[in-house]
Amino acid sequence: MVALGIHELTADWASAKWLLWIGLYLSLGLLVPWAMTRAWAHQHHSPLQPRLKQVFQNGELGLVSLMLAISVIWDLQKSQYTSYTIALGSVFLAITGIMAGAVWIESYCRRSTGTRFRPDRAWRDSRNLTLLVFSLAIVTEILLDRFGKVTAL
Amino acid sequence: MSASAPALAKQSHPALAMRLADPAATLAYVSFLFGLLLVVFPVSFPRIIVQNWQNARLTPIVILFTVSLNLALYLGVAHQRSSKPGILAAACLGSVPVFLLAGLNFLLQATIAHTLSGNIPNALARVDEEILAHTYFALIAAIFGPFLVIRLGQQFRKTDP
Repeated sequence: MVALGIHELTADWASAKWLLWIGLYLSLGLLVPWAMTRAWAHQHHSPLQPRLKQVFQNGELGLVSLMLAISVIWDLQKSQYTSYTIALGSVFLAITGIMAGAVWIESYCRRSTGTRFRPDRAWRDSRNLTLLVFSLAIVTEILLDRFGKVTAL
Repeated sequence: MSASAPALAKQSHPALAMRLADPAATLAYVSFLFGLLLVVFPVSFPRIIVQNWQNARLTPIVILFTVSLNLALYLGVAHQRSSKPGILAAACLGSVPVFLLAGLNFLLQATIAHTLSGNIPNALARVDEEILAHTYFALIAAIFGPFLVIRLGQQFRKTDP
């Protein structure tokens, strides 16, 4: 029942948009903020040399994940999948995105109210949930790429 | 000594409080593996999924895989934290994937019937892609869903997970 030939799917992997998309999110979402802190420290002659973990220690990665999930939901909405598949994917991406964002919210609330706050746990939670959202986003973009090629045939 | 023993046992093995980050990393690896198989075997991997779906073997296989993985994850976290696994959580881990996957399978069948009944060009290839996307989302939902239910259920307890 698989009606696609291997050439239709693999001939233009080099032009696969999801590879560029991954690179954009990794660089703009993670590396640029980290590099900017280093640049700031250099400009102000500060000994500050934070690691990626320290930059995102309050669960800020959860916010990056939420933005990532929103962009993939937007791509899903624009696709020609059936409404059922779009709804399933969108709801699931939204739930994981919200849960990742909730790590930062919980962290903020704990710090603001003086409730027991553990930066290592906030970092671990946001890192794991970001990894999940990121993997979901990559595979969804791959599926969208495949489906786009099928509809174009 | 004997009177304080149950209290001591209770104190040394508190009820397990799950966090969504616990299964998230494993789930991400499952998702990455699915994506990798899709990229490396762009024709044969989807064909295997579609053929198994047509033979009605896909849903039982996915149920078996997700329930086993969920229980392994739950017991692994319980062992790691020296906490006591809850019977309600175990029941949730066993039942939610079954209901979820069976329900989603019914919806997929309705979607496919709708797609095939319409006058859509290249309908068979579209159906294959729909099955592939559905399998992926259902697999991830069946692993993440029970832990989400458990996590939300913990909000009713007076604990600080």
